[in-house]
Amino acid sequence: MSSNGIPGPDSEVALRVKAMESLLLEKGLVESSAIDELIDMFENRLGPWNGAQVVARAWSDPEYKAWLLKDGTGAIADMGFAAVQGEDMVVVENSAEVHNMVVCTLCSCFPWATLGLPPVWYKSAPFRSRAASDPRGVLAEFGTEIGADAEVRVWDSNAELRYMVLPERPAGTDGMDPEALAKLVTRDSMIGVTNVAPPG
Amino acid sequence: MSRKVDLEVVSRLYQKAGAVRLKMDIEPRFKPGDRVRARNINPAGHTRLPRYVRGKEGVVERDNGIFHFPDARVAGDGDQPQHNYSVRFDAQELWGPGAPATDCLNIDLWEDYLDNA
Repeated sequence: MSSNGIPGPDSEVALRVKAMESLLLEKGLVESSAIDELIDMFENRLGPWNGAQVVARAWSDPEYKAWLLKDGTGAIADMGFAAVQGEDMVVVENSAEVHNMVVCTLCSCFPWATLGLPPVWYKSAPFRSRAASDPRGVLAEFGTEIGADAEVRVWDSNAELRYMVLPERPAGTDGMDPEALAKLVTRDSMIGVTNVAPPG
Repeated sequence: MSRKVDLEVVSRLYQKAGAVRLKMDIEPRFKPGDRVRARNINPAGHTRLPRYVRGKEGVVERDNGIFHFPDARVAGDGDQPQHNYSVRFDAQELWGPGAPATDCLNIDLWEDYLDNA
């Protein structure tokens, strides 16, 4: 079975990774338990479901939202999400007046603790350049139309801070509890390339 | 020889990995509201100052605190800790009059990248 689930031989990259893993283990540079732990961390513990819980709590609790926007690192740590690449977090709020969107023009900086590893398109050169120079064009390609009178604000996370967008709470969600709200929140909405769609 | 990557090393990644921000007493050269211009420098080595902001004028929006200066670290010139600021640039300043007047871009810039405008 190949690494992408399709029957057949492993891809060249998968074979290379296996060869490197064997060498690192044989030379005693890495323990296999460390590799298992890393995979479990990124498959099961660090991912956008963490960020979604932060967003849902902020939508449900005005005091928490105020804390989150003032001290993203502290408020996110309060939810237990304080892993690597989430040491200094800034959360920016989308509204009818301002639409925020995050990019790392220099590489692929991304808030792992709340959103996991970045999607491939986030790391691609076309996204990285056009998100800065033509954000409305990129947003339109994601199906996100921003009114001409609203402000589009791009955050280039090229340095040490990591950014996450607090999307707007969609209509038709009155009375939903944080658990139900979290299910509506997508990774892309926390990067700011989409909005959160109403339920249904 | 660097340390073997074992379970403990990896597990630490999942705990609070220690803030990157430095607790030091260094006077900031800029404050929120200051108009600044990104230096037009073209270093041969690593920099976090992208070309699209070089020579452009913006406004300091927030003092992010003190961080090691990556340009110096990569070059082997020590840590050179200094303030880093979120600087806001109008989209038209960066991309010309064709960009929407409503839009802007914030980017985190180290003090050594900035002059008073």
